[in-house]
Amino acid sequence: MSSTRTDGYRPGLVDLKAGQISREIFVNDEIYQEELERLFARVWLFVGHESQIPNPGDFFVSGMGEESVILCRDRADKVHVFLNSCRHRGMKVCRYDDGNTPVFTCPYHGWSYGTDGKLVGVPYFREAYHEKLDKSQWGLVEVPQMSCYKGTVWACWDPAAPSFFEYLGDFVHYLDLTLDGWDGSEGGTEILGGIQKWRIPCNWKFPAENFCGDSYHNISHRSVDLAGIGPSGSGRRDMQERLMARRLQVSFYERGHQTGVYLFPSDRPTPPSYQHSPIVSEYFAYCEEERRRRRGEWARLIGSPGEIFPNTALHPRQPRTIAVWHPRGTHQTEVWRWYMVDKAAPSEVKDFLRDYYIRYSGPAGMTEQDDMENWNYAHAASRGTIARRYPYSYEQGLGYEIETYEAEGLRIPGTVMDITEAKSSEHNLRNLYRRWAEFMETESWDELATWRRAERAAAE
Amino acid sequence: MTEPVNIRSLAPGTRIVLEGGAVAEIVSNPADGVWVFARYLSSPDDPARVGSEEMIFAQDIVEIRESS
Repeated sequence: MSSTRTDGYRPGLVDLKAGQISREIFVNDEIYQEELERLFARVWLFVGHESQIPNPGDFFVSGMGEESVILCRDRADKVHVFLNSCRHRGMKVCRYDDGNTPVFTCPYHGWSYGTDGKLVGVPYFREAYHEKLDKSQWGLVEVPQMSCYKGTVWACWDPAAPSFFEYLGDFVHYLDLTLDGWDGSEGGTEILGGIQKWRIPCNWKFPAENFCGDSYHNISHRSVDLAGIGPSGSGRRDMQERLMARRLQVSFYERGHQTGVYLFPSDRPTPPSYQHSPIVSEYFAYCEEERRRRRGEWARLIGSPGEIFPNTALHPRQPRTIAVWHPRGTHQTEVWRWYMVDKAAPSEVKDFLRDYYIRYSGPAGMTEQDDMENWNYAHAASRGTIARRYPYSYEQGLGYEIETYEAEGLRIPGTVMDITEAKSSEHNLRNLYRRWAEFMETESWDELATWRRAERAAAE
Repeated sequence: MTEPVNIRSLAPGTRIVLEGGAVAEIVSNPADGVWVFARYLSSPDDPARVGSEEMIFAQDIVEIRESS
């Protein structure tokens, strides 16, 4: 296979009409190298949260694709994202996870950069460079595009990519289900404690597709359901409302984002939750009431796992988290998981949620352990010469998509698969690979931003 | 050859002697072991530097001057 292949994905390796996808896209080293260039260098990626860098000089070392980047706040309070690599010989200029500093100094030869990225210190500048080195040309490499939204920080290496909000489109309303407070207050969340990081021996697309809304794998969490790790001591979560809601999978074909949602009937109150703790239970009962008052009909929607293309997973409710599936080679993924909580929540609520979140998610979390075991062995069992000949099946629900979904007067943005009766679908998973294949084959954002065609046509 | 100075622990206000004989006073220390921010108190080679603040490279610092 050529290392510069830009065709053969649609149809071929990704055959959405048949609902089949080749194992090659998960295990082939050349395809992985192409992904780094054609996907991770062109998309918007989640970098961190402003609450991680509240003060001038604060920094947090994050990642974009395989690149190490520094998220920092300069002395003038401006947020930046820089490539964590010295311009002189490439050494990491920051080897801490986070902290506060006036400068990032390369330990190799000593070049030093301000928190605004400017090169401020060059050893022997007068003697060895005779003051001729143009420092203004040798600052840290800064991402050409960055966007802060409700505390979250996103960045993109491609100056030709659309703005973050154009990239999201109407999916921003679903992102809000993770970023707004439980009471519906705008951007009312903050990061709870530190983030968890760990590695899994599988391709990054295994967890990515799982969090698109793989509703089929619940059987693998059966033991957790039986153990009753939920915050009221039964099941995995307090979501009795699921029993009275419609379960929807929502895909944005032109953007590659997708999520699950629960849609409540308009006339039913939310069942009680967190009943192991009266303070927490009372807090969430109050929040539910407030959310319905603030958000009106839209408050009938409750989020479930979703994904902002390609590798930022949203878990809007119980536990509320954002995860990034960092690619670390064809056969390895590094997971970073941020835990979120209402800024305004009482400390008892935050403490309770911390315990529950850790019990549920992360490398020691009971559900994440189930998932990792599946991804780990599925990847390993797909690498062999014989195994690679057989595609995976993504046929659930093919042909049952609904372009304009409305329930009791509420229009749901995106293309919807109603799985209330069907139980499961691979609608959202197909959407991930639809967009993935477009990126792998398409050269420019003029072609990728297909929504602009309709807008142009409407304008003409 | 003088012993290398461990600059990481030098507090603001500490006076340092640089190669060439200049004397500077530390203004702040990022504690990276490579640089300190300092203000020139004297500079025999270039008197125009006196009063100015610069980043001083660790290997240019030859000794700590005890305050009198």
